Amino acid sequence: MSDQITIQIIRNRISTLMDEMDYSIYRSGYSTIVRESHDFSVIVADHEGRLLVAPRMFLHAFTYYHFVQTVFRLYDKADIREGDLFVSNHPYQGGVTHVPDMATIAPIFHEGRLIGFCGAMAHKADFGGTVPGSTYGKATSMYQEGMMVPPVRLYREGILDRDIERIIEANTRQPRLVLGDLRTQVGATQQGCERMRGMCDQFGRDVVVEAMHRMLRASAIEFGDVIAKLPNGRHRAEGYLDSDGVNVDQPVRLCVQVTVEDGSIEFDFTGSASQRNGPINLRRPQIEACCFYSIIALLDPTLKYGHGAQDVVRFKLPENSVVNATPPSPTSSYMPTAQRIVDLVLEALGKFSPRRAIAHSGGTGGSLTIAFKGDGWEGRGHQYEIFGSAYGASALGPGASGLTVHLSTTQCAPIEILETEYPVRITRFELVKGSGGAGRFRGGDCFVRHYELLRPATVIYRADRSKFPARGVAGGSDGLPSQFKVNPGKSDEAVMPASSMVELDVGESFSIQPAAGGGYGDPKEAPAGA
Amino acid sequence: MAGYRLGVDVGGTNTDIVLYDEASGAQLVEKLSSTPSNPAIAILEGIDKLVARGVQARDIGFFAHGTTVTTNALLEHKGVPVGLFISDGYSGVIEVQTQQRGGNMFDYTFQRPHALVAPDCVKQIGGRIGSRGEEIAPLDTDAVRSAAQELAAAGIRSFAICYIFSFMNPRHEQMTAQIIRSIVPDATVSMSSAILPRIREWPRFSTTLLNAYLEPALVRYIDDLSVGLDRLDIQVAQRFLMQSNGGVMPFSGVKGNAVHTLLSGPAAGVRGTCHLLARGAFANLITMDIGGTSCDIAFIEDGKPHEVSGSEIEGRHLDVPSLDIVTIAAGGGTIAHVDRGGFLVVGPESAGATPGPACFGRGGTLPTVTDAYILCGFMNESSFLGGSQKIDAEAARRAILTHLGEPLGLTPEQAAEGLLRIVNARIADQIALKAAKTSVDVKDFTLVAFGGAGPVHAAAVAKELGIDRFLVPFSPGAFSALGLLCSDIVHDFLRSDLADLDTITSDGIEHHFKALEEEAAGAIQAEGLSPGGNVFSRELDMRYAGQGYELRVPLGQPSPGGVIDLDALREAFHTLHEQHHGHSARDGAVEIVSYRLRSTSVTRKIALQSNAQAPAIAPETSRRVRFGSDAAIETPVVARSHLPPESACKGPAVIVQFDTTTIVPPGWTARIDGIGNMIVERAENV
Repeated sequence: MSDQITIQIIRNRISTLMDEMDYSIYRSGYSTIVRESHDFSVIVADHEGRLLVAPRMFLHAFTYYHFVQTVFRLYDKADIREGDLFVSNHPYQGGVTHVPDMATIAPIFHEGRLIGFCGAMAHKADFGGTVPGSTYGKATSMYQEGMMVPPVRLYREGILDRDIERIIEANTRQPRLVLGDLRTQVGATQQGCERMRGMCDQFGRDVVVEAMHRMLRASAIEFGDVIAKLPNGRHRAEGYLDSDGVNVDQPVRLCVQVTVEDGSIEFDFTGSASQRNGPINLRRPQIEACCFYSIIALLDPTLKYGHGAQDVVRFKLPENSVVNATPPSPTSSYMPTAQRIVDLVLEALGKFSPRRAIAHSGGTGGSLTIAFKGDGWEGRGHQYEIFGSAYGASALGPGASGLTVHLSTTQCAPIEILETEYPVRITRFELVKGSGGAGRFRGGDCFVRHYELLRPATVIYRADRSKFPARGVAGGSDGLPSQFKVNPGKSDEAVMPASSMVELDVGESFSIQPAAGGGYGDPKEAPAGA
Repeated sequence: MAGYRLGVDVGGTNTDIVLYDEASGAQLVEKLSSTPSNPAIAILEGIDKLVARGVQARDIGFFAHGTTVTTNALLEHKGVPVGLFISDGYSGVIEVQTQQRGGNMFDYTFQRPHALVAPDCVKQIGGRIGSRGEEIAPLDTDAVRSAAQELAAAGIRSFAICYIFSFMNPRHEQMTAQIIRSIVPDATVSMSSAILPRIREWPRFSTTLLNAYLEPALVRYIDDLSVGLDRLDIQVAQRFLMQSNGGVMPFSGVKGNAVHTLLSGPAAGVRGTCHLLARGAFANLITMDIGGTSCDIAFIEDGKPHEVSGSEIEGRHLDVPSLDIVTIAAGGGTIAHVDRGGFLVVGPESAGATPGPACFGRGGTLPTVTDAYILCGFMNESSFLGGSQKIDAEAARRAILTHLGEPLGLTPEQAAEGLLRIVNARIADQIALKAAKTSVDVKDFTLVAFGGAGPVHAAAVAKELGIDRFLVPFSPGAFSALGLLCSDIVHDFLRSDLADLDTITSDGIEHHFKALEEEAAGAIQAEGLSPGGNVFSRELDMRYAGQGYELRVPLGQPSPGGVIDLDALREAFHTLHEQHHGHSARDGAVEIVSYRLRSTSVTRKIALQSNAQAPAIAPETSRRVRFGSDAAIETPVVARSHLPPESACKGPAVIVQFDTTTIVPPGWTARIDGIGNMIVERAENV
């Protein structure tokens, strides 16, 4: 057995290496999405593609294993060489979250032996398709969502295949941003491999390989111990998305049954809607992310995910469903579905372990696009904002108000920057007091934001939870649903569907209000002063 | 003519006082336990001791002070109640903040740090300034008046004024301040347009709120201290306070600047390193300051410390310039444990002063880094403040065996060595990461170790990093206090006005800087400093259009004709962007976001003397020390004061002095240079 202290040092060094790769993408990122939304991830995996440590962007974590398996299926293992690098943004073949997320993986070789993989995935500015940004809310097929690169070899033994790069270049509205970001990402991936080789030189390859093995085993032990403490049993939760964004009158059913049996846990999504025409479809890697996120968040937030955790978790995903879609179902609006599945899995898991049980949260606060018109504005960038909502209350206390929840964490744009850059005025920005569901602990309050246009514009707001508010649990009440209003407070005030597009003139206004969090427990038991 | 300069650094555990005799270059050091309830007590007591040693208080001609009063008040929630005036309809700015959450991403019970203002003390005031500074709606002065009266009646004396776009036009904030002062004559008023006149409302409001919350505590403390100094007959008018930016400010400049002291704790040591050590072959240094609870790392490149424009403290945004210092939870009191996965983990918890390390015998039972020092022979009873701390080696052994050795199947000695290897590797990893983030190569740097425990770890950390040399300054245990005597008076002034570089003119830029220079001159005069005794340096915050962050681009003084070369400026930005981010967009639109003016008044500083002698202590002659091989080796113990200048001491050796212990492993050699620094170097291939 290798020296345990050395193994611990290697483990710490692999975490630091991920920080370094992460920072190098952040630092060199061309697009603001990379820098401001941190919508990217980096990983180190073993020779089978099994993750050693979870990346900060947890929703990405499970794509990599899937991607590596596809590469193994597509390519002869003997033909995978040092210096190779594979790329894909294919939601099905590569398993990425949606088309704008392009992933890279590269094998780590030491003295001719494959010991692992490094990888990175980052949201790109555009891969073509119907709308700039390649996230078309009305897409009915993946072919409208932009160019899809299946897993292909971008570098062969260290040499860039310019042909593939040129194909990518020719299919984006933002070639400079996309290729710049891709090169940065490739650089971080290669740097990871280089550092891992350096560790093998310093400590010996066998020691590094054993350290990786030990890290996987540690995650198996950690998750095994925690899940072994759950009582056997079976609990269900189900809920609805407002719609798939295309068929706006049809709610989308989501349903999970969680079974714990002698230290293993199964997530069965049978009963969830069949895959949709609208772009809200998930695949297995995203479902895994939602379920493992929920296990960690509910049972013990200090648990460290490594692939070993898979030993005690099983998934049953109905074929051709919204949780296990097949081509050509569109995928670009994955976040509302993912957030809703987290709410449901947490609800079901909370019945096994009520200590940290939590009500539903407000989910994504939606996205806002304002496309100004006239005076040369058509050619310029749109105002684009992504909003948070509010947390549901938990058995431990009230939900936090006005923030991004669970799987997402993005900054909101400062009012002073928006008003300086765009012909818009934000006239109100405040929490909606009392909007969170009542309960022993109250759900978090959402915020409301009012906009006044100084130029005519097309305004697109895409949100969920206008029909199905964040559910309270254990006797708590629901939070307020989301709301999109045109000309609020005026004689022609109109409440719009939560996902809609309107044409507005100078002086007209609108307000957006994401959903608030659900309450937890009986309001009669609320502690004094709360 | 006053002949002494006095530096006083108050830390969480100790208060360090260094008196420097300008004529002889001699230093007197006093180390006392801090008195957190009123830090002035330990300071005045220490000065009393100096007086007892024959120092004439009236001969002290310079007094510089580093304090954590504001930092502690924030950590312990001991600021004052604040009344907030905020633009009507924009309370979401302070509630939603960035809409991000900090800490563990999986912990959905997350709550923001408690609000610095009670909900009923938030007053929304009508009136609105637009993005070009134009008035969209007039200030509702009636609302200001009634809010001020209501808050005054509730006993509020500190007020923050936070209006949207006040950095473009401060008139509404100034009118509000005037009304408040007419109602509460002794009010502390923090205007966002004065505290941080920069675009982006939340960082500006957050910084302003912090100032309002903390300034009264700092002012009260400074007043107390001043009275005490007067009473001791310390007559010097020039009394200075350390700031986060590595410069000092006069006591008289504290108002409106309390936030500038929040991150000042580790700054003096870095500043001291710059002035005293960073030259010649040592222009590039990495400082490693290890104390009881943490290890502070800073990079000095070409004699200049790396700086940042904004940071966070306790989850709160604080956008003031500060030295770029990385803090790692790795100090003498840091606790180790074995985690669920069977890995030995060090930190982040610390045993603190109580119960302290197990070996201190104050009730601590958990193994700490200091307990590992004892087991490895790095330290013993004589190592802690000249032997005044009793050491229970058996307790150290028991703690390490029970909590680390047994679960891991290691002997206590193996576990202790393992613990230190992990700490050293972690410090080295963080230094390497910081180097990668700032695009420098650690191999071009020399490590400087200070703080009570820095020199214990230096050789091992240097070896991990592939650095062949480290330096231990003359008084490593009181180095921050010494650093206070090496700091210039530095003030930063700032204003924002977003402009396209294609359309702005040289005159337009000059106009902003002239206004800042006038503001600076006024402030300097108000502080009683001589105008003209300072130099200005200019920087621009620039970005590509649409980017959410800026780079600070230095701008030289204007040529005699007074014309700023805009093409050169654009080029400088592209180049800097390339340096920082690996690429630039030469065809991209470039914008100026903010204008920064730094005023530096140079102080007379101390110089290290060639005849500096460490206070003599008489250690044992040898002890058994573990250097990573299986057995401990008999190792000479040498008093630093006995090392003659320029003679070499070959490792293995333990070099001891009153305030620290330096470990010199086999293959390393220590020598004292001409100005009293100890330089430890590694022979090749060891």
